[in-house]
Amino acid sequence: MAGSDASLLTSGRTSGHQDPMRQPQFIRSNTFRWALAVSAVFAVFVIVLFGFIYWKIDDYLTARSDRVITVELDGIAGLSPERRLEAIDEKLRQDPRGVQVAAIFAADGHRITGNLESLPPHLRIDAPAHGTDVIRRDRGAGENQTVRAIARRMRNGDVLVLGRNVDEAGEISHVVGQALALGLLPGFCLCLLAGAWLSVRAQKRVEEVNQRVQRIIAGDLRERLPYRNVDEPFSKLAVIVNGMLDEMETMIHALAGVGNDIAHDLRTPLTRARLTLERGRTNAATLEQLQAVSDKAIAGIDQSLTIITALLRLAQIENSRRSAGFGDVALHEMLREVCDIYEPIAENKNIALQVAVKHRRSVRGDQDLLIEAVANLVDNAIKFTPEGGEVNIELLQEDSETIVRVTDTGCGISEQEREAVLRRFYRSDKIRSTPGVGLGLSLVAAIVKLHGFRLAIHSGAGGRVEIVCPDSQQG
Amino acid sequence: MALVSSKRTVSGGRSSSTANAFAAIEYQLMAKVLLIEDDSETAEEITAELSDRGFEVEWSANGIDGLDKARSLRPDAMIVDRLLPGMDGLTVIEALRKEQVRTPVLVLSALGAVDDRVRGLRMGGDDYLTKPFAVVELVARIEALLRRPAESRETTLRVGPLELDLIERTAKRGDRVIDLLPREFRLLEYMMQRSDQLLTRAMLLEEVWNYKFVPATNLVDVHMGRLRHKVDGPDETPMIHNVRGAGFILRAGP
Repeated sequence: MAGSDASLLTSGRTSGHQDPMRQPQFIRSNTFRWALAVSAVFAVFVIVLFGFIYWKIDDYLTARSDRVITVELDGIAGLSPERRLEAIDEKLRQDPRGVQVAAIFAADGHRITGNLESLPPHLRIDAPAHGTDVIRRDRGAGENQTVRAIARRMRNGDVLVLGRNVDEAGEISHVVGQALALGLLPGFCLCLLAGAWLSVRAQKRVEEVNQRVQRIIAGDLRERLPYRNVDEPFSKLAVIVNGMLDEMETMIHALAGVGNDIAHDLRTPLTRARLTLERGRTNAATLEQLQAVSDKAIAGIDQSLTIITALLRLAQIENSRRSAGFGDVALHEMLREVCDIYEPIAENKNIALQVAVKHRRSVRGDQDLLIEAVANLVDNAIKFTPEGGEVNIELLQEDSETIVRVTDTGCGISEQEREAVLRRFYRSDKIRSTPGVGLGLSLVAAIVKLHGFRLAIHSGAGGRVEIVCPDSQQG
Repeated sequence: MALVSSKRTVSGGRSSSTANAFAAIEYQLMAKVLLIEDDSETAEEITAELSDRGFEVEWSANGIDGLDKARSLRPDAMIVDRLLPGMDGLTVIEALRKEQVRTPVLVLSALGAVDDRVRGLRMGGDDYLTKPFAVVELVARIEALLRRPAESRETTLRVGPLELDLIERTAKRGDRVIDLLPREFRLLEYMMQRSDQLLTRAMLLEEVWNYKFVPATNLVDVHMGRLRHKVDGPDETPMIHNVRGAGFILRAGP
């Protein structure tokens, strides 16, 4: 069952693995999608930037060339008509790239000089420089060109036309555009690559973690998640999970130990009951004998049931949360009550049981459970104190805590045993012969923990156990 | 089980003290008990045991049928399992209480948590018994429910020669004054209110000492031993009887 569950989990987590038709896994990953989105935004940004630059450059170049031709026109217009012809010829000669347009037309429209075939039909005369179509005669068979041009009528009726081809601006824009496009493409690719890389990397780590987790599920409790350095979020997470795994491993080991103890402690009385019944079935001759056998068997079963009840109760207390049903528990009264109940038992054993309460103290808690805890401590103390000894219950008030202290003159708890006594079913070798199940202190510890109190066990001769209630707990 | 077989000798000679443990119920023979329990084997055992003790037992295996029977049969007491098919045991009790049915109810449950117990009692249960339980325990509790002491204005309790003054807090057996500690007085008062009834250790722990758990030490026996030592003088007829494996009983007769 566990095996099939584990495989189900695996297929759920890395669903692509067995599916040959899948997209590459990284494409579906979130990281990659984010990278894709960022690339797209980047591309849009670059395109808008390019548009803006193109528009600005075009604007600037046009304005500049307009200014230049206007100044030139003013200059040429100021010359005599003969000098104008020379100036135009001179100007065209000095323009090897052929970007300049210059011509003089007579008033009737025929060309006097210049590189234009005819007066451009859409060219407005005496207007500021503007864009127009011209037919040039110096280029092939009257090439049609769009230029920025300005025209002015001279005093003698001629029309002077000066212009400049602004395709240059287009060229520059083209270069800039190319540069941006060149930047855009690798940028876009880089983004995608980075996205894919991050995604694959994350995917890999998840896969790695998954494998380790699978190993843990399969029962290898020592396995831990990989981490590189603690500053990275993924590693941080791994460290946290590892901490949790450490804690769980300890708990599971403790539980496994407990399981063995439980099995042993339950088996002993049950085996006894079984033997008794078996022997009684064959040997009992009279009703009385059979009844005696049954009584013995029932006692054995009852002991097993007591253990189970105690365990369930322990589990229940350990798993419950602090209940809203907590009330104020008057410790001074409670201690007197416990003392009252145990007095006859102590007397029977010739033990002096005393309660010393100086202050009236109340804590917030569950009255029944706290009585149970203190009663358990007193019960233990009386049980482990030899005849003629003393057991004292004290209620102390210290700086910021209230302490319930139970001391006895018994054998005490050795330093090595301090941790162990809280373990379920732990029974010190010194007290093997005393009757008991070995769950008492575990129960006390669970109750104390539930209340947010602390259980202090002091080692050395004479037992001393304290329930320490911090003042913040007081109601 | 030892108790079951010896019960049959009751009508004959009252020889064994065990047999006498339940003799008291004879006067209320045929008290009607409704058992609502879904596990048929448990139900059979309980029915057999209660019938042996002279109760008339009606059995119902689910909550809905149980509620119907509770309404139509008017039983004197009910034993209700908490987890039932059809309708939860606590819901049955709640429904009955809403209809002003005051029949005492003993709640049975495999849930033994303190909270469960509190809930069971708050919902209208009168007593709560956790599975697994000894049959003696169940019978003792049913009997206790059937014979709950009525609210009484009496300030003096009397059982045979025993007299308890609740105001003066004094006890006498005949002319002999018994010197009791407060805790012993409390125990004796509880027992005298329920004379002739079997009181189990768990019942005493819960009611007299308000203990919701079973302590490791045999607390009750020690206390009872001391009380008995004071109540039953060396030459007097014993009044406090130990019912082996079950509990204690206080009665005037031998």
